[in-house]
Amino acid sequence: MTVNRTRRRLLAAGAGALALPALPSLAWALPGRKHADWLFSAVDDARGNHRIAAITPNGEQHFTLAIPERCHGGCLSPTAPRAVVFARRPGQHFYVVDGDRREVSHRVAADGGHHFYGHGVFAPDGRYLYVTANRLEDAMGLVRVYDAEDDYRHVRDIELDGIGPHEIRLLPDGETLAVGLGGIKTHPDYGRVKLNLGEMDPALLLVNRQSGEVIARHRPSHHQLSCRHLDVAADGTVLAGYQFQGPEWETHPLLCRLGPDGAFSELALGEALTASLQQYTASVAVSRRRALALVTAPRGHKVIMLNYQSGALLAEYALADAAGARCDGAGGFVVSSGRGGLYRVTPGTPSAAALADLALQWDNHLT
Amino acid sequence: MAHPSSLYRAGLTAFALLMAANTASAGETPREQWHRAAAQQYSALAGAAETLEQSTADYCDTPSTDGRATLEDDWLDAYQRWQAVRYVQFGPVEQQSRGWQLQFWPDGKNLVGRKVKTQLNADTPPTLEDVEQAGVALQGFPALEYLLYDDAMDATALKSPNACGFLSAVSTNLVHVTRALEDDWQSFGERFIGTDSYTHTLLQSAIQSVELLEEKRLASPLGLRGKPASIYRAEAWRSGKSVALMRASLEGLQKGLMPGLTALLESRGHPALANKLEKQLKEVAARADTLPDGLAPAIKGEGSGSEPEKKAAFADFQGFYVQLSQLRRLLARDVAAATGLRRGFNSSDGD
Repeated sequence: MTVNRTRRRLLAAGAGALALPALPSLAWALPGRKHADWLFSAVDDARGNHRIAAITPNGEQHFTLAIPERCHGGCLSPTAPRAVVFARRPGQHFYVVDGDRREVSHRVAADGGHHFYGHGVFAPDGRYLYVTANRLEDAMGLVRVYDAEDDYRHVRDIELDGIGPHEIRLLPDGETLAVGLGGIKTHPDYGRVKLNLGEMDPALLLVNRQSGEVIARHRPSHHQLSCRHLDVAADGTVLAGYQFQGPEWETHPLLCRLGPDGAFSELALGEALTASLQQYTASVAVSRRRALALVTAPRGHKVIMLNYQSGALLAEYALADAAGARCDGAGGFVVSSGRGGLYRVTPGTPSAAALADLALQWDNHLT
Repeated sequence: MAHPSSLYRAGLTAFALLMAANTASAGETPREQWHRAAAQQYSALAGAAETLEQSTADYCDTPSTDGRATLEDDWLDAYQRWQAVRYVQFGPVEQQSRGWQLQFWPDGKNLVGRKVKTQLNADTPPTLEDVEQAGVALQGFPALEYLLYDDAMDATALKSPNACGFLSAVSTNLVHVTRALEDDWQSFGERFIGTDSYTHTLLQSAIQSVELLEEKRLASPLGLRGKPASIYRAEAWRSGKSVALMRASLEGLQKGLMPGLTALLESRGHPALANKLEKQLKEVAARADTLPDGLAPAIKGEGSGSEPEKKAAFADFQGFYVQLSQLRRLLARDVAAATGLRRGFNSSDGD
């Protein structure tokens, strides 16, 4: 790719608050940054082989890397041209992509006693990587901490006192992790069988990344509302999506919000819309610029846009197998589909605009 | 259903009944037909589970050779009735992982064997509550199969208080799970019938069940997927009933899937495809009737057959596999195209 110098200058100016070191050569997307030059996602190709894909947000350029297992979510290093993509539940590895060389530089294994859930996040200085994991002997949900400066050596674990941590993000204070605790027990011996649907105890957690203390535990209104995916706004608001594991003929809220003041609430989207999402939300993306959020619902073949402060529904878009979502850096969002398309969803426009259509099945998250 | 030799005749009778049912239910929508057919299948499953519970109680009261034979027949009958409705992989069967509670499989790490063995060595037999809490490897048909057929269970071991107590608890749990399935499927009816997207949900679910049959249940243990053949990758290898279960699945598709699907295809202007599909399914089922109950006769090193006998048996299974692949292609390609079904990625298997 060619490096866009204007964009790099803009980035340098915009990221002043984060006191960045020298910009990486690929002008990478940083958390909270307005521009993203590459998006990453786990994909399957047309033959069903698992790969990691990187694509420019305009959809014009892309490359893919072969990997031996299906991956799920990812995160970017805030300080180096690195993306990390995580094998999906019950995952055995995560993969570090060297963006300059366009290759996998590290394949890090969960040891035999653990599996990953498919998500992780870096500390603001890019050194420590926080990865959600399961300790198999007692099904304890963990945040495992790895040192990126020491070849991703495992350094310690944070116990979450709960089962099934899933997506994890960092709050703007740089200290607090938001973790969606799915509540679902799995074990590699049993594949993807959900082992405890009767006695789930999901929650949205806030955890101090230094002390490991669980600062807040907000339980959904039903014990089978599995809290999975989330994003964080510039003001510290956390918006999280649920997947309901109970009877599909029941309708429950599928989104919750944790305000910067610590107030927890669930967002009702209305009976008909909620039912049409088929108990399932995939990606949550929160705008860094406005009080806007986007949520994908692949089973309902929908994307919804809402005001995360008021909870008001702003728009619904029909999008088959809608999967990953993230901010496009221009006030809108980029959304992928399991059917191969990449789209731009802009507030105020009536439909999603196609950017690319590739022979790839995009997994649920864009990074 | 317990006597495979009569299955082909039963299949023909079923076919005749099905044609009659088609005429009788002319006013029903495809989803109404699917709902009614699956309701009958769930009801038959729950009934068979009760029969199994009774024969378990009888055997454990007064162990006898006849009682044991009845128990084995009733186990297979209930297991086959589960196979018959296994094409429904959504709705109540997803609740509490009920499908897994009935049948934990594939079991690549032999969890069933390991866990049942540990359970049998416990000081006291498990209660119903213990089994409910024990996890899917100790519930359902594979755990019962271990008790009835595993080499580690010698001829008299089943009579022991531990084994009998375990047998009773598992069979009672089966009754509870299958009754709940039957009831919940009824409650689910209004939503299923009233929601258009369930047409694709049901088709996708049925197609997946045929793919599972072709790939995991047949091709993989026969060695048609890269790895050498292995009986341990087959379903129900302990009892040697892998093929008996496949027959039941095919019969279940004939009774459960086809009436509604035929109506749907006809209403969309594809009567020829409906005919072709019905014919193919019938041929596959007829072919399955000519095969032995298990896969061992076609697998080297298993059972007693000579080399030429093994080769001949393997050729028979290959023929069955080819027919089954044609059925799968008809469903996954032609029926999907005719009904506007597109397979999802995240929508069917997201996280």
